Amino acid sequence: MSYAMDDLTGPRFDKLRRAFFRFRQSKLSLLGGMLVALVLFFAIFGTALAPYPDHIAGGLDTSNRFVAPSWEHPFGTNELGQDVLSLVMAGTTVSVLAGFGVVLIGSVIGTIIGAIAGFAGGWLDEVLMRLTDLTLTIPGLILAMAIAAALGPGFGNMVIAISLSWWPGYARLVRGEVLAAREEVYVTAARAIGASPARILFRHILPNTVSPIIVKMSLDMGFAILTVAGLGFIGIGVRPPTPEWGTLLAISRSYMPEYWWTAMAPGMAMFVAVFGFNLLGDGLRDVLDPKARR
Amino acid sequence: MLLFILRRLLMLIPVIIGLTVIMFAIARLLPGDPVGLAAGPNATQAEIAALAVEFGLDQPIWVQYWTYVTGLMQGDLGTSLLTRRPVAADIAAYLPATLELVFAAMAFAVLVGIPLGLVTAVWRNKWPDYLSQVAAIGAISMPRFFLGLLLQLCFAMWLMWLPLGGRLPIIVIPPPRFTGFMTIDSLIAGDWDTFTLSLRHLALPAIAMSLSPLATIMRMMRASTIEVMGQDYVMTARALGLSPRLIITKYVARNAISATLTVIGLYFGWLLGGTVLVETVFDWPGLGLYATKAIVSQDMMPVIGVALVIGLLFVLANLIIDVLYGVINPKVRYS
Amino acid sequence: MKTSTPLNLNRRSLLALAGVGLASTVFPRGVFAQNSAVLVIASNQDIPNFDPHTATGYSASFFMRNVYDPLVRVGGNPPEAVPGIAALWEASADGKTYTFTLNPDAKFHSGAEVTAEDVVYSFERALRLAKGNSWMIRDIVVPGGVTAVDAGTVQFDLAVPFAPFLQVMPWIFIVEKAVVEANLGTDDGQTWLMTNTAASGPFTVLRAEPGTLFQLGRAPTAWQANGGNLGGVIWQITREAATQRLLLERGEAQIAVDLTSEDMDALENSPGVVRILEPEYRTFSIKMNTEAGPCADINMRKAISYATNYQAIQDAAGYANLMTGPLPDGIMGHKPDLDVYRMDLEKAKEHLAKTATPEGGIKLRMVHVSGLEQQRRWALIMLDSLKALNIELEIMPMNWPDMVAACKSPETFPDLFPVYQTANYGDPDNIAFAAYHSSRNGGWQNAVYKNPAVDALIEAGRAEVDPAKRMEIYAQFQEAVVADAPDIFGVLEKRRLAMRDTVKGYSFTPVASNAIEAFGLSL
Repeated sequence: MSYAMDDLTGPRFDKLRRAFFRFRQSKLSLLGGMLVALVLFFAIFGTALAPYPDHIAGGLDTSNRFVAPSWEHPFGTNELGQDVLSLVMAGTTVSVLAGFGVVLIGSVIGTIIGAIAGFAGGWLDEVLMRLTDLTLTIPGLILAMAIAAALGPGFGNMVIAISLSWWPGYARLVRGEVLAAREEVYVTAARAIGASPARILFRHILPNTVSPIIVKMSLDMGFAILTVAGLGFIGIGVRPPTPEWGTLLAISRSYMPEYWWTAMAPGMAMFVAVFGFNLLGDGLRDVLDPKARR
Repeated sequence: MLLFILRRLLMLIPVIIGLTVIMFAIARLLPGDPVGLAAGPNATQAEIAALAVEFGLDQPIWVQYWTYVTGLMQGDLGTSLLTRRPVAADIAAYLPATLELVFAAMAFAVLVGIPLGLVTAVWRNKWPDYLSQVAAIGAISMPRFFLGLLLQLCFAMWLMWLPLGGRLPIIVIPPPRFTGFMTIDSLIAGDWDTFTLSLRHLALPAIAMSLSPLATIMRMMRASTIEVMGQDYVMTARALGLSPRLIITKYVARNAISATLTVIGLYFGWLLGGTVLVETVFDWPGLGLYATKAIVSQDMMPVIGVALVIGLLFVLANLIIDVLYGVINPKVRYS
Repeated sequence: MKTSTPLNLNRRSLLALAGVGLASTVFPRGVFAQNSAVLVIASNQDIPNFDPHTATGYSASFFMRNVYDPLVRVGGNPPEAVPGIAALWEASADGKTYTFTLNPDAKFHSGAEVTAEDVVYSFERALRLAKGNSWMIRDIVVPGGVTAVDAGTVQFDLAVPFAPFLQVMPWIFIVEKAVVEANLGTDDGQTWLMTNTAASGPFTVLRAEPGTLFQLGRAPTAWQANGGNLGGVIWQITREAATQRLLLERGEAQIAVDLTSEDMDALENSPGVVRILEPEYRTFSIKMNTEAGPCADINMRKAISYATNYQAIQDAAGYANLMTGPLPDGIMGHKPDLDVYRMDLEKAKEHLAKTATPEGGIKLRMVHVSGLEQQRRWALIMLDSLKALNIELEIMPMNWPDMVAACKSPETFPDLFPVYQTANYGDPDNIAFAAYHSSRNGGWQNAVYKNPAVDALIEAGRAEVDPAKRMEIYAQFQEAVVADAPDIFGVLEKRRLAMRDTVKGYSFTPVASNAIEAFGLSL
């Protein structure tokens, strides 16, 4: 009846090992995993590894403006002579961190709201769900833009603004899971023993909802990064000299088509990152949540 | 069915109220001084105060809200501090452009996505299918504005096959306005030239917007076609000697429409709220640009108005789709 | 059956629609009417306000110059006054009285003649509303100082002599008194004039789509002489400079007014394109907060002035020249051999040592117009330059109205504030007064700087009628300002315009050259 928690051959770990096996089977998921690993690597070490670190902090080299891609500058230089590759590498940190922040904050808020709604039921559930639906009805980008613009430029403000339009998805998901889990035998058993509602919620129900949340988070990462870049593209977001992919892309618009490399690097980086996260998310979903597999 | 529609329409009212409350709360709780901004750099304190009174901004918040809601029932969405015009007029001017873009994007996604989905289902697990899977995820991952930029770079700047932006060439006088859709209006006016021109201008931005829904439609189509083809009734039909083409057309078509409707429902709100990125790239005079300018100037009436209109359209679209679901599949009960 | 019905219906109705379209008569549409030439100007600035007495900005200036008339226009290089509504004028010897004789042919779009009453009304209204360009005549033309001697003659009795008077006349436009008075509303006609016109100019408004385009057409009542062959002008709002350039290259636009230096490079060998790269009286400088914060200390300002990487500014600006003082080169009264600051880190550190923070270690705040690329570049250059002094720079992109609001007091004003000053008239007083006189404090042109000695020089300069004495005064003025170092003197960007070679009759005037006066042009 009791599991040997450190026994790596126990049933719990068996499930994980099988999941991993299925994951490895899908080439696409592996590709996604590798891309994400690459992106995360650059997110953590990008600033340190960049060939021209002083450019990232705002340094410039105006005698070398608009140099085409070459050995010294694989992605060329921009209007101030800054190395585009370095800027894009540093931008990885900003964009990925922002995306991660959005997903994290959004999922935390959403989980809390969804859990309370699902578990409490009754009018609290109704109120919270109406609120969720309404937030979903407001176009997300416009909501995020409005909040970000009013809070002012800055990394933190941008993340908060987007998270506030992101949480409803999680609220719905968690509520659904909690509603289903409420009827499970182990919950009835726990209640019979006399566990408090909070304990039941946090100790028993939520841990079982973790996997759909993780799946959703990984699927969302890509779109979070896209939203962050979208805000940067419009001009609401980080402050100079912080490099951010969307802002870099917006600035490079003026230099099309002659200096096309100023747009290509941030755009491709964005694409690769989002692509990787989407592949990974798809793979994780197939593995952790086979019910959803088509 | 009529009762169902009526009930859903009635539910619009609490939605409107809820939306306005949220938007008002956001608008008022955020920092900033829109009246000072709108009054202009040379305004004196007295002028700013006068402007505030004119726009009712000196009243306590619930009074302002009540004024707004009562105005709403008469179709008055307030006045923009920036343009000094009624928001309703502004939105009426800009909404058709955005809607035209959204519909065109949807149309393209459906017209290309469904056949692609069919083809990949029929040829599943061979290399075109595999490639299309990857391409689908790639399409969803591609940022719209980057794609728009690339399309503009390639087709408008290098190849010069398509125009750079705008809805019509600048010297062309638009057709008389019935719907605000350049395509429909030019057809109504019988102006074939303008119709072609408007299609050419619509092409690149619509394609940029359409890639995501296209990929999703393709995947859904593929999945449902595979499912259908494995059904017993299909096997029976084939055993009875019906041609594969007839089978596909008859049984798969129903799923095609279902899948399409689902995706349209999913994406309509997303498209409508997200046109701003593509409108920026292509100088498309739509709601997105209008809302962005208002947001940047902290001019809240247009933002509330736009959010309200888009929200309502979203709810209406969902209603229409639900009704269509019922039409397609009589088994669906109107709950 | 039931499932396929929706499909069939749609297809059938679509075919029907197309059939209707094909079968019905096609009205001749498409390109604008018959044989009149239409000039397309691509710009990124909207024209939200048609009121000539309250609107500002070069797009508004474009509108005014083509739809309205002033008494006197400006033309030529160097700029001088040319007849507008006024056919002749004369000034008294003491410079305090000006008499204008109106052109008897002058007519409003309504058909009514332009009379002295309309001129008086217009000036009174401009002064009363105290917005737009009225600052140019404030305290010079006073209410009651403009009188109608008879229907065709107007007399100005100035409060003080004002040497550049004829230079500012092109910026006050004449409205039709009867029309405005019929639509006063509660705000002196401002709401009405925002979207309507009461004008006499060579063009009228045919189509106005705010945010997209404005189409002007030749007024049937146009009385002005020596016009070109244009039947219409379209002001096309194109947000991206690159798109403007491409439109120009493809001939879809005939003039592009917002090009960057990179665009001009790209256009160098473009067939059919004429580039206009002319020095202008447009300065770009970075104002410092002389009243509050670390920059209130003159040593700090000098330290920053010596630390700035002027070479980088020049490189990033492209077609531009570094400023050699507060006044633009070439303007009357410019003193060529001022001892301006150039990058000299030793001197910079010397001055820094005399401040309250000799080791630096502080953080300064710089704002710039969000989306304005040149200003963003300068902000980054300042960030880089200040590192040598161990000073951090916090860069805040803001939108222009917010920036203007921050100018209201020294406490809200940032430490560094980049600003373009355009000389609306070719006289040193324009920039001297707008940018350095303390009466302009609280506004964006000179938010905080005040120095009574400099004020006195400016006032003396504008009142002095003798040209030689004026030069003297302005020389002293420039020396005083350089010594005070209230701004980092940046660059004089050359005006960058490009047009198709099919545009004839264009001559460059270094005043408001992007507000294209279309009347004299032909295609």
